[in-house]
Amino acid sequence: MDIVPLLLARIQFTTSLSFLALFMALAFALAWLLLFFKLRAHGSGRAGWTAAYRFWVRFFALSFVLALAAGLPVLIQLGSLWPGLMDKIGNVAGPLIGFGVLSVFILKSCFLGVMLFGQRRVSPWVHTFSVLMVAIGQAAALFWVLVLQSWVQTPAGATLIDARYRVLDWSEVIFNPSLGWNLGLMVLWSLLAAAFLILGITALQALRRPLQDGERFAFKTALVVAVLASTLQIPVLNGAAHVMAEHQPAKAAAAAGYWQSGAMPGWTLAGLPDSRAKSNRYAWTLEHAGGAWLGRDEQQRYLGLDKYSGMHPPVGLTFWTLRVVLLLGALMLLVSWLTAVLSLRRGLDPASLPRWWLRVMVGLLYTGGLVVLAGGVFSLVGMQPYAVNATITQTEVLGTTSTTALALGLAGYGVLYIVLIAAFNGMLFHAARYGVVPVRKPGGQPQ
Amino acid sequence: MIAMLAASLGVNANDPTFWIPLVFMGLLFLLIAGGVVLDGFDIGVGILLPFAPAGERERLMGQLSPWRDANEFWPLLGIGLFAAAFPLAWGVVFGRLYGPLALMALGMMLRSVSFEFRIRARAEIKPRWVFGFWLGSLATALGQGVILGCIATGYQTEAGYGWFTVVIGLCVVAAYVLLGATWLFMRTDGDLQRRAARWGRHAIRWTAVGMVAASVMLGLANAGIFYKWSQPGGLLVVVGVWVVMLMCFSCAELLLARVSSTERSHQWLPFVLCIVLYWLMLAGLAYSLFPYLILDDMTLWDGTASVESMQLVLSAAVVGVPVFLIFNLWAYRSVFGKERR
Repeated sequence: MDIVPLLLARIQFTTSLSFLALFMALAFALAWLLLFFKLRAHGSGRAGWTAAYRFWVRFFALSFVLALAAGLPVLIQLGSLWPGLMDKIGNVAGPLIGFGVLSVFILKSCFLGVMLFGQRRVSPWVHTFSVLMVAIGQAAALFWVLVLQSWVQTPAGATLIDARYRVLDWSEVIFNPSLGWNLGLMVLWSLLAAAFLILGITALQALRRPLQDGERFAFKTALVVAVLASTLQIPVLNGAAHVMAEHQPAKAAAAAGYWQSGAMPGWTLAGLPDSRAKSNRYAWTLEHAGGAWLGRDEQQRYLGLDKYSGMHPPVGLTFWTLRVVLLLGALMLLVSWLTAVLSLRRGLDPASLPRWWLRVMVGLLYTGGLVVLAGGVFSLVGMQPYAVNATITQTEVLGTTSTTALALGLAGYGVLYIVLIAAFNGMLFHAARYGVVPVRKPGGQPQ
Repeated sequence: MIAMLAASLGVNANDPTFWIPLVFMGLLFLLIAGGVVLDGFDIGVGILLPFAPAGERERLMGQLSPWRDANEFWPLLGIGLFAAAFPLAWGVVFGRLYGPLALMALGMMLRSVSFEFRIRARAEIKPRWVFGFWLGSLATALGQGVILGCIATGYQTEAGYGWFTVVIGLCVVAAYVLLGATWLFMRTDGDLQRRAARWGRHAIRWTAVGMVAASVMLGLANAGIFYKWSQPGGLLVVVGVWVVMLMCFSCAELLLARVSSTERSHQWLPFVLCIVLYWLMLAGLAYSLFPYLILDDMTLWDGTASVESMQLVLSAAVVGVPVFLIFNLWAYRSVFGKERR
């Protein structure tokens, strides 16, 4: 089989899903932070919390618009790039997709309009309630997407009969082994993405002018969230790694760069996995440290990449996306703790931070978003060559679309995603400098 | 007829494996019919943007604003329902339509983002998003048209069929332009209304060409459909539908041609006639294909998931449909009225 269409399909699907994940994560985390701002505004009665809400609701709205728009290409690609897949997992995936779309529909049609355009027409508590419902709706949509994404990694509660999955137990399907940790990681990374965005933008504003109350409140909230979320990452990553070792040993071995079964498992911090020589070049390894995150056979021997006769993910990419995730995670942990320590005496006020430190924070604006992207790429690339772990390969569900069409499609999606991210970025920086002006939807009826 | 269908499948008509797919098919048809018309005028107005004078473009976009939230949901719900209800047919159909679906997905994404970002963008950047909305609308219409062409040719891929699908794609662009123009004709007055009538008259010819071409191809390229049409009962329906469609075309054309003398109270008529036209065409397509999702290959009962999965989707639909109805009745309550300024 020609390898090019497969490669193009993989790149395309990974790109689209990562784009969706990035903005779903931002919209989800911002919705909950906005709810917090609203509740604090009610509780303390201080105008600053309302100002913080006003400013950041804009970026929630933009993220939501992008996430909603990005859902359609992912759905369409799921069908048109992998036509054989739904035939095999339709019994599981069909209802999950249905629930996901329904959650988004209900949240958008019933509550989003009130949240974004109805603040003047309803009482403050009704408005806060609509923010709560939007936040819950975001969580529900994210949950259903993650259930499906986790189920293909650890397909439980269903069995293959005549090359089709039949569901045995829906609760096992939904609460499959990797769901919990994946959910935890996604929530933490989403919060980090939103928190570092807020920290970076507020730091940028602090470099230019004295901050107002709302900006200080937003900074403080984001800093606390960043400290908590980046610390909680450690146990959750450990848990996710254990599940991976148990259910996806090939992915675990590729992530560790562990080639020969039975060898003493070190934990390779950095290196260049070489698939010809079946070893890591320039490896920098911690001896005896890697065993906990590797799969084992019945005799408790570690499973290396040589056990899979080629049916393992591309080692270099899997290895390095994980290193990027860990590196960025560690960076965020360090920066959030240091910032907290540096500003603790002045009540987490960004004005107490040195200017060069503020510049560092501006530079880290998108770190959280990058972790979401890298984490998504790791989980998708680590699946290869399978579309459903260990049972259905991507090759067998790939369609017959021509290479030219796939290349053109990929180019189209690539250009559009870049333009949209650039536009989001442009609006972010414009708003950081000049603030946001409330908008209303014009038209024949008040919206 | 229901009993006969059930008997031909060898099941009882009360058996969930028989009626749940039918319910889903009905819902899916309603979503497609609603989306073609309601998202359709939106697409049409989008394509017409560059033909309007620069100063009027913002007003045109503003015209769409009250319905955007509702309009943009039809395709997502339709595709979601298709995936959830007919997962086994989903990949088979979508796998053959990669190109046009990608075009449509890109278009829809660009459309919805452009619209929302334009509202929030600063004034000097707004024209870029208007351009984005135009481009997205064009791509969406073209993509949907090519999909229609592919269905009409029975997904055949020889060179001649490829060109045919492109022609149908362009005709569907014209059909959406017609819908957008008649909606503007109903909605506005003065200079913009005269322009809308002119756009509509240009578009109506190509719409007619496309409809005739698609129908002829549907009959000629698919032996099963030709057989169905040539049955005595079928022939009567086909001829009846054709006569009604011809009348709709001529009435709409006449009304648009007499902009100044068409009475104010009748200005909604071309838009409604267009809706009738498109619904008749969709009904004809559904009649021709039923009970197949892919002609002579996969029926809707072959395309569904297991009973347990279907029941779950059905329970979601039971929640979703009332919300959907209330929301849409509320959102579209004044879609036929005049613009208020």
